[in-house]
Amino acid sequence: MKKILYLLCVLSVLLVGCSAPSFRPDQISTPPLHFAVPQIEPIILTNGIRVYFKENHELPLLQLTVLAPGGAIDDPVEKVGLASLLVRGMRTAGTASRSADQVDTDLEQLAADLSITADTYALTLDLSLLASDFAHGLDLLQEVLRAPAFEPERIELARKQMLEAVRRQNDHPQSIASRELLKAIYGDHPLGRTPTEATVQAISREDLLAAYQSTFSPEKLWIAVSGDFNRTQLRAELEARFASWAAQESKPRILPPLVAGNDGVALIVQKELPQSVVMLGQVGVDKNAPDLHAVRVMNFILGGGGFNSRMMKEIREERGLAYSVYSYFQVGRLLPGPFIAQCETKSSTTIEALELMLAAMRTIREEPVRPEELQVAKESLNNSFVFSFAEPHEVVTQAMRLDFYDYPAGYLESYRAKNAALSLTDIQQAARDYLQSERMSIVLVGNEQEFEAPLSQLGFPLQRLAPPAKSAQ
Amino acid sequence: MNVNALRLLLFLFLCLPNIAAAGLAERVQEHRFANGLTLLVVERHDSPTLAAYITLRVGSVDETSENRGVAHLLEHMLFKGTKTLGTKDYRREKPLLEAIEAAGAEYDRLRLAPQLNASRIAELEIQLKELQEQRRQFDVPQEVAELYAKNGGVGYNAFTSKDLTSYVIELPANKLELWAAIESDRMRHSIFRDFYTERQVVMEERRRSYDTNPDGLLYENLLATAFTLHPYRHPIIGWMSDIDHLSLEKTRAFHDRYYVPANTVIALVGDIDFVAAREMVERYFGKIPGGMPTPPIVAGEPEQRGEKRVAISFDAEPRVMIAYHKPTLPSRDDYIFDLINGLLGDGRTSRLYQTLVVKEQLAATLSTFTAPGSRFDNLFVIKATPRAPHTSLEVEAAVYRELKRLADEEVGAAELERVRNRLRVDFLRNLQKNSALAHMLTYYQTVAGDWRYLVRYDEELASITPAEIQTAAHRYFTSENRTVITLARTGGGE
Repeated sequence: MKKILYLLCVLSVLLVGCSAPSFRPDQISTPPLHFAVPQIEPIILTNGIRVYFKENHELPLLQLTVLAPGGAIDDPVEKVGLASLLVRGMRTAGTASRSADQVDTDLEQLAADLSITADTYALTLDLSLLASDFAHGLDLLQEVLRAPAFEPERIELARKQMLEAVRRQNDHPQSIASRELLKAIYGDHPLGRTPTEATVQAISREDLLAAYQSTFSPEKLWIAVSGDFNRTQLRAELEARFASWAAQESKPRILPPLVAGNDGVALIVQKELPQSVVMLGQVGVDKNAPDLHAVRVMNFILGGGGFNSRMMKEIREERGLAYSVYSYFQVGRLLPGPFIAQCETKSSTTIEALELMLAAMRTIREEPVRPEELQVAKESLNNSFVFSFAEPHEVVTQAMRLDFYDYPAGYLESYRAKNAALSLTDIQQAARDYLQSERMSIVLVGNEQEFEAPLSQLGFPLQRLAPPAKSAQ
Repeated sequence: MNVNALRLLLFLFLCLPNIAAAGLAERVQEHRFANGLTLLVVERHDSPTLAAYITLRVGSVDETSENRGVAHLLEHMLFKGTKTLGTKDYRREKPLLEAIEAAGAEYDRLRLAPQLNASRIAELEIQLKELQEQRRQFDVPQEVAELYAKNGGVGYNAFTSKDLTSYVIELPANKLELWAAIESDRMRHSIFRDFYTERQVVMEERRRSYDTNPDGLLYENLLATAFTLHPYRHPIIGWMSDIDHLSLEKTRAFHDRYYVPANTVIALVGDIDFVAAREMVERYFGKIPGGMPTPPIVAGEPEQRGEKRVAISFDAEPRVMIAYHKPTLPSRDDYIFDLINGLLGDGRTSRLYQTLVVKEQLAATLSTFTAPGSRFDNLFVIKATPRAPHTSLEVEAAVYRELKRLADEEVGAAELERVRNRLRVDFLRNLQKNSALAHMLTYYQTVAGDWRYLVRYDEELASITPAEIQTAAHRYFTSENRTVITLARTGGGE
């Protein structure tokens, strides 16, 4: 008996000795996380402006975001860049009661940040300032929104800066590739257009005034505020500044339907650089797609999940062909946004990297993903969901955006359950529906003479684009 | 100045330092472990999340000509798993790892004389490829990334700078122990798998950031020109030939020497309890041998005695960088330069923006900043893109006029207070995000030796007089102390 006890002791030492290094972090049990989707209910000012509040008194700061329907989607074909010049004008060209210089000086006096940007479907104004300055800030905000002056010389300055940006649009090979790819995917549709010297020159001050008039009226404005304020007081201050602004009759938004693009081709732009940009894409999804969640999870596995994605593992980790390689579906708020995959690789592995990207898409279409891959993608998306609400201003602008773009009710509340319910079949179906090589457009920017194989090997019809113009000084 | 503005300035002047600096001083909780590891914690319970920053006081500045690029390559290698994570069976994988290293080392040695060793090099290439494929049978690729992802981690990443290296992640707040277990394992038991493949990845990163990027190329040339001796002159990523010849042996030696608790600062910011966090860090990091702090660097940059100027040819529109040597923190001149930076280049009302972009319209964009690090004396840099048909030369002339004005005329009190106010409010903005605060705390603990630099900052700033700014402008903005780099197409007509 004693002997047996002795043996057991030795064994247990050995067992402990053996099992200690096999302690694994994934065996750690974690306490439950308590978390609920925050509920933000908007209030509506007397003239129709919708306001979302989220008080947070940790720091004496206030952040405010205004959203208005507009953006590049409405730019006329001969005046591409109109929305961009409009917001530059509103920000930099003065108001009825303050000169352009005065606006900047007054903002800087408060150490306030004001930016106005245009994206595809909306114009966004962001204001950040000390909470104690909110009255000054709202005065300025009111003037910029209700009475922009569009001082002609400042409009000309903004135009010159846009023209210089057009001149510089070929400085980075990535920007050449993304411009050519969007053009190929969307053809002659606003989603495929970028400003040129001619379109920027064609925009008149009258165009800006007309665009301003048709975009900014109270019933179209949405405001989100977070930070150190009192909700009742702030509401009263907003009413005091905006109530006299009369609402107009609202008109439905008309969107130009998609047109045929330049599908199933490989476009080559010659640029004498040691590394090529490889980019490909096709028309993807909009937010109302019934399979939106399947598409998101499928793309996580394909190229969206960082180190956990197949493209990263196969192209970077296993072969060292690229530093950055990824794919994404830019979910269109109204019309389908693009699917895009991209990497950069040295000239002599250009074809190899491209073929690996195409193969990754083919595989995920033709074979079901592994159950573990699906599990990682679902758990990652669902367990990191809490970060969508980590910052107060993110919480309140997100609530506003979901309403602004008319997302289905309960979108956030059902997000995790919808991900969790996805099957291997759903993922493969999403890949079949959204990744089709015959509809894919490919763009290569690089030094073709140094590629390791002839482009004809790709099996795509080739189109060589003129090298980007080198503008003379 | 009207009365309202004056009242506002007084209010800001009196109240803000208290709000920002003192508030932070009360909220940062600190612990120094027996092995030298420093822990900084800010509890913040609004969202059930946390940001974790591990910052090591070692960067590319601590390299020599023998191992340039190693700090950054090592950072990549810390993503290749440990003895437990990333492998199905480390014991059986180990002989293959050793065979790969032996073949790789011989391959690198023979490549120094490629003509003499052509046939053996070809053999080794095949051998390396086969060995690496064999090793893959034990691979659990990116298991740490997968673990973090499954547990809701976001922003799993790392950064190497001239001065330091940071490993970062944000997690749901209930995952603190998972983080401690993984990161202490990475610090002690990392295995540098796929080293030779990762070297290729870093070369691709270099091509992407410098060799095909006009802004990266301009900046790399600025540092290589402005510094004659000091290692700030070398790119963090290394020159291409450096990367191509870094060895596993050197990488491991760098890791063993510098990745030690005595060199490490951890910041945890978010929905956690300080005592629980301290105990967790003690449990997982407390037994790691302390090691030695990074030693000082002896290389002293000689005083520059004349303008340095380089014109780069590259297929892009013109751009220009102008730089002046200046002392780093905590010297008083460094604070003065923070004010000079605000006066000259921060925002639309700043002097250079007003003159070059708004009034004379010579430049389309303009920015000013301090680079490339803060552990050692550094540079004040002005960057601009000329607006066609104007040239870099015209931009330069206008910049020099403004710098001369700063040396010739005393700055007005209102303008100066506006700049101070901007620095204070931007500091507050930086406290909003857990990750930004964690970054700031480990950064200043590492480069200034104490995060309280942030608390004292405003007081020092407030004491600087217009005369001191004038004196500094006079002293530093000289043509002898200047480096100018321009980039344009060959024969671009600039």
